[in-house]
Amino acid sequence: MVKPQFLGRTDGAMDDLLNDFLAETAEILAEAGGALVAWEADPADRERLDAIFRLVHTIKGSSGFLALPRVTALAHAAEEALDQVRRGNRPANAALVTAVLGIIDRLSEICAALGSNGAEPVGDDSAVIGAFAIGDAAPAPEPEPAAEVAGIPMRREDDLAADIQNWRSIRVPLPLLDSVMTGVTDIVLARNEFARMLRESGADPSVIASFDRLSDSIAGMRQSVSQMRMQRIDKLFAPLPRIVRDLAQELGKKIRFTTSGGEVELDREMMENIRDPLIHIVRNAIDHGIEALDDRVAAGKDITATIAVSARQSGNQIEIEIRDDGRGLAPDALAAKAIAARILTATEARALAPRDKLELIFRPGFSTASKVTSVSGRGVGMDIVKSNVEKIGGVVELRNDEGRGLAILLRVPMTLTIISGLMVRAAGQYFAIPRGAVREILLESSDSVRIEKLGGGEIVTVRGEQHPLLRLEQVLGRARDHRDDADDRALVLIRPGQGQSYALSVAAIHDHEELVIKPAAPMIMATGLYAGTTLPDNGRPVLLLDVQGILAAANIDASEAGRGVDQAAEAEAEATAARNAAQLLLFRDICGRTRGVRLSVIERVEEVPALALFESAGTVQAQIGDHIFPVHAARVPEGHGAIKLLRLYDGQSILCYPIAEVIDIVRLPDLVQPAAAPGLIAGVLLVGGEPVELIDPYWLMEQYAAGAPAPTPRQPLCRLADDRDGWGDNFLAPILRGAGYRVASEKTDETPDVLLCLTDENGACAHESGDVPMIRLRASVAAAGPEDETVYRYDRGALLDALRRQVGGGRP
Amino acid sequence: MMEKLYLVARIADTRVALRSRAINSVVTVGTPVEVPGAPPHVAGLFALRSRVFTLIDPHVVVGLPPVLVAQGQRVIVVDVAEHGYALLADEIEDVCFIDAPETRVTGQLMPGWARVAEAMIEHQGASLLVVDPAHFVTLPMLKVA
Repeated sequence: MVKPQFLGRTDGAMDDLLNDFLAETAEILAEAGGALVAWEADPADRERLDAIFRLVHTIKGSSGFLALPRVTALAHAAEEALDQVRRGNRPANAALVTAVLGIIDRLSEICAALGSNGAEPVGDDSAVIGAFAIGDAAPAPEPEPAAEVAGIPMRREDDLAADIQNWRSIRVPLPLLDSVMTGVTDIVLARNEFARMLRESGADPSVIASFDRLSDSIAGMRQSVSQMRMQRIDKLFAPLPRIVRDLAQELGKKIRFTTSGGEVELDREMMENIRDPLIHIVRNAIDHGIEALDDRVAAGKDITATIAVSARQSGNQIEIEIRDDGRGLAPDALAAKAIAARILTATEARALAPRDKLELIFRPGFSTASKVTSVSGRGVGMDIVKSNVEKIGGVVELRNDEGRGLAILLRVPMTLTIISGLMVRAAGQYFAIPRGAVREILLESSDSVRIEKLGGGEIVTVRGEQHPLLRLEQVLGRARDHRDDADDRALVLIRPGQGQSYALSVAAIHDHEELVIKPAAPMIMATGLYAGTTLPDNGRPVLLLDVQGILAAANIDASEAGRGVDQAAEAEAEATAARNAAQLLLFRDICGRTRGVRLSVIERVEEVPALALFESAGTVQAQIGDHIFPVHAARVPEGHGAIKLLRLYDGQSILCYPIAEVIDIVRLPDLVQPAAAPGLIAGVLLVGGEPVELIDPYWLMEQYAAGAPAPTPRQPLCRLADDRDGWGDNFLAPILRGAGYRVASEKTDETPDVLLCLTDENGACAHESGDVPMIRLRASVAAAGPEDETVYRYDRGALLDALRRQVGGGRP
Repeated sequence: MMEKLYLVARIADTRVALRSRAINSVVTVGTPVEVPGAPPHVAGLFALRSRVFTLIDPHVVVGLPPVLVAQGQRVIVVDVAEHGYALLADEIEDVCFIDAPETRVTGQLMPGWARVAEAMIEHQGASLLVVDPAHFVTLPMLKVA
């Protein structure tokens, strides 16, 4: 029965090495593809070339060690060609990039075969390697043929330094990471149970104190483990440039592709789930969204189209936006297509509001392409994208600007396993509702609530807005608990997805809790009513309600469009207003005061170790990743644990604002009591009856943008032109309003008194407007010359002076 | 040796033998949390060592009316497809080695029992049904009684 252990181990070690190699190579290949495309756009970027060279070199090195002759030969050929470019013996051109991409593709194929068979497949790579000789005018040395593997030098003296860096991180198999995560989750649950037992037993305070210490370190550990599962979203973006390049070439389109927010982190599992949807949306944008060159010229657009993918963190969610400046979606064309595809009838189509017509692209069987191209028409549609994203608790939103572009927003939770939940009671037991889906909580007895019975169903009107009303007991098929107060029930307004809402009546609201969610048994999940189970501190399991599933079970149409009286247009306008309504992030600052700041100026909330903050030249700075940002603080906070930072972003620079905790996100009230003088606090407003100080981001940025503060200036109308990044709306508009001006963004019927042009380019403003005076703002502190009449945008004094000179008015 | 180890218990009013390797543990439960809308054989949820288990009422599975879960009732904990379940047991008798071979089920069983019983075995002069707990959990189609 004694097994030859050593043999087994040798095999295992070899497998481990091969697996490591495959995992590493897959990563390198994805990264190299993206880097190559970027480098093609800017061949002078020496640093990038070196990076690609090192990547290829790494593959060659590891493959040589594992004796994979084909991989080594391929990597060597690419390395050799890139080295010739580095030495200036060979021009960097599209042919070279295509040849290197060819090598990368072949390497991917071989690695895939290696992964399934464990051995390098037999094949001939001379065509791929030979591609370097084609289209190359410069006398490049012929790459060695594949057979001469032994003659390839395995190491270059100039790359030793690069190799060392790889040792700073280690590779951990995913199942191990998952089991650590499960283990920690169990520890957290066991801790909760223990905490409950301690409370019940009335234990000694010293026991409780030491338990609390244990509890804290467990919380810390959970945090770290969650972070271990986090990956930078860069990884998700890495293959995109390559896809864009290839597809654009194939379709004869010119596309500039940009990504931003790559440092945002996302749970690995979530990442897996949005990879395909993301790629699909990008492909769609190139294929359907971006017009052919002629059409772009005809439409007066830049020939080179732009596709921008950006990620940002907002609270517990990650938003990924894919924006193109193509033709956007035409609601009527979509409806016509849907009728042709027999998805709906012409009568049904007429009844749809424009926004509902857009949603047609999410119907199964719908394809917007007028003809099936090699790119699309592969049976994967936006319906799959939507269901994949919804499966992980996310939502897909469309922001269409017909004729000018489309932005698709994917909003997904940061992690799957821990969510913030609202505990409610019905039929004598507790249920949890994901906090992210809850819009508002009201009492049925509240004055702003009107409940009516209509044809056996119920609707509730809250401040003029109607929602279908569901009673949780009814949905679950249970009787009301006799102990519950029938007159004092609570309403939870739920928004399960974009453009949907309903009210759920429950016996009582309990509290908010951070919940560790685990899937329930399959037969419980099959009811469609529950999204999982969780174990709160009291040790009694609680079911997490599936807010979308409840809708399906109740079989009601929760779509908001067309609700209210008889005008769908009003609903549309209201929805737009709600979208445009500014949101306020409430937080507690490090001194314990409750303050708020407009959410739109916050790029993200960052948690950094206290050690990342340091003082330099009298100001506090924070090191985050490879960047250093100014921090709004008089001195470095007392060092303990982690510090939360709000990252304010004005489109150009970042400022960190230390806070103790985020409290909530609410709608920005219209009424603000302005502060007497410009300063950190723009004014005071009331949120839920409590005074909240409103931070002035304009003033804050001004302090750190090296500008000069100055004094301030009836009601003339300022129009903001070319406010591409929203700086005008978010930063400038509040200041102008505070100074007694009215502010309009792009579209307005009234002739403005003055035009503020936010463009930085020296050319004419796109909104040249005849006799309306214009003030042009620039982003740099220094003027271009004595004739430069532009105003530095953070120079409040000069800006307001200029305004006064042009139109007069404003408060003195 | 493990193959011969059985848990003898009375579930759904019938004495049965369960192969011990299919069983995780035998524990007592308090009042379970109900799962509204779930199939009738789901008697509720309960927590054990920070895991949530789904309680199965074997009475319903074999076609009998459901029983109320009494405080301190003993249940047989099993893992099926990485989820934890517990079968309500009327009575736990013994864990013992049964040397007799498993034989084919002879005689007519109620349809519910026919679905869960895999064999018969002789133990102390009586015939016991050998059942697989997984069958109580994964019912393809359960008709509502």
